[in-house]
Amino acid sequence: MTERLRNALDAYRAHTGRAASPEFAVGTLDRLGLADRYLVIDSALGPVYVAWNPRGVSAVRRSADPDEFEAWFRHRFGRRAFPTSGEHAIAELVRRALAGEAVDVPIDLRACTPFEAAVLRKAAEIPTGHARPYAWVAREIEHPRAVRAVGSALAKNPVPLLIPCHRVVRSDYTSGEYVFGADAKSRLLEAEGLPLRAAHDLVRSGVQFIGQPDDGCFCLPTCGNVMSFQHATHLHSIDEAYACGLAPCDLCRPVAA
Amino acid sequence: MTAAAPAFEPTTRVDDVGGLLAHALADDLDRAFEQVVRTYQDRIVSAAGRALGDLPRAEELAQDVFVRAYRALQTYDRPRIRQLRLRSWLFAIAMNLIRNAVRNKRRPTVGLERADGTPLGLADPAPSPAALVERGDDWERVGLAIRNLSPKLHDAFVLRYVEELSYDEIATALSQPLGTVKANAHRGLASVRAFLETDR
Repeated sequence: MTERLRNALDAYRAHTGRAASPEFAVGTLDRLGLADRYLVIDSALGPVYVAWNPRGVSAVRRSADPDEFEAWFRHRFGRRAFPTSGEHAIAELVRRALAGEAVDVPIDLRACTPFEAAVLRKAAEIPTGHARPYAWVAREIEHPRAVRAVGSALAKNPVPLLIPCHRVVRSDYTSGEYVFGADAKSRLLEAEGLPLRAAHDLVRSGVQFIGQPDDGCFCLPTCGNVMSFQHATHLHSIDEAYACGLAPCDLCRPVAA
Repeated sequence: MTAAAPAFEPTTRVDDVGGLLAHALADDLDRAFEQVVRTYQDRIVSAAGRALGDLPRAEELAQDVFVRAYRALQTYDRPRIRQLRLRSWLFAIAMNLIRNAVRNKRRPTVGLERADGTPLGLADPAPSPAALVERGDDWERVGLAIRNLSPKLHDAFVLRYVEELSYDEIATALSQPLGTVKANAHRGLASVRAFLETDR
C-alpha cells in the first residue's frame, strides 16, 4: 500500500459517501407499515387525532396538541407517527365514518392480543342505535366468564368511535367507563337514537326483555329494533318470553344459543 | 492513519451498537427496527450509491435491503436475532442486491449486434475508461478500478477497503472462509493499485 493509494481510497470514500435523504427512514418504515401518518379529523366529540399506516387505522385519540399525541403514540405502539396533510384515501374513509356513514375502514389491530382483538371485532359488529352489555360480548366470543376482561379490552380500544366500544354498556344499562368519559358515552348513544336511561329504568323495574308479539320475537332493551316495536310487551324473564311463544331476536341474540 | 505505517490495513470501524440493537430487536422487532434503519442507512445508501452511481436508485435499493432484513427478522426466533452480527448481515443482503442490480444494469436491453454479427454502430455516449483515466483525479481512478474488479475480488475488496469491515465480518457477510476473503481483498487491492499507479 502506497501513500498515493491510501490517499486515493480515503478520497474515494469521502467523495462517494452519502447521507440518506431525510425521507429515507420514514419511507422505509412506511413500506413496512412501521411508520404512521396522522391528521386531525372532526368527530361527534370534536376534533380527534387519527393515525394510520398501510395496514389500516391504528389510533383515534383526543390530544391537547401534536406533541402530546406523538409522545402518546410512540409510547403506546413503539413506532413514530408523522403529521401529514393533503388527501389520503383512508383519511377520507375515516372522515365519512366519523360523520356517521356506514363505510368499511381497515383497522390495524396488531398491538392487541388475540383476546382483545376478538372483543373489538365483536364490538365492531354492533350497529348504530344499538347497545350490548359487556356480558353479551363475553358470551358471544365464547369467554362467558371473562366479563371484566372484556371491559379492559374495550378500555384499550385503540380506535374508539371507529370501533364503537361506546355501544358496550353495563348489564343494568348504565353506561360504564369510556375513554372519552362516561358522559360522552351516553351522549353518543343518545345521538345514535338509543335512550340508555330508558333502558336502565326498565331494567330497574325488573324488565329483562322486550317482547314483540307481531314479529314473534323478544329482544334486549337496547336492541335497535325495539324502537320500532308497535306493540312491545315487557318481559321479566326468559321463561315468560318463551311462555308468550316468542323466539330470541336474531340481531341482538338476547340469550345464549 | 500515519504515513509511515509499513503494512497498511485500514482502520476497522467497530460495529459498537450492533450487539445492543440485535438484543433490542429480539425483544421487540417493530419498536427497535427504526433504530436499525437510522443507524445503518448512510452506510447502506453509500454502498449502493458507489455501485450504481445514481442516488434515487441507490436509495431505492437501500430501502429494499431494510425491507428484506425486516421480513427475514420476522421469521427468526429470538435467540437467532440476538446472535446476529447486524452490520455484516445487512451488508450481506446489500451486496447480494447490489450484485444483481449491477448485473441487470450491464445487461443490454437490446442486442448490440445485428443478426449477421456486425455491430449496430451506435455511438457510445459514455466516455471510454481510458479517457476517464486520462483526466480523472486519483479517487475517480480508484472508483473506476473498483468497478472493473472481477466479482470475486470486488466484494471482499469493497467490504474491507471501502466499507472498512473486519475480515471476520466480511467472512460472515460473504459466507466464505477467512483465508479466501483475505486473499481476495489483497488481490483486489493489488489490482486497484496497479490501475491507479500505471502512469498516465
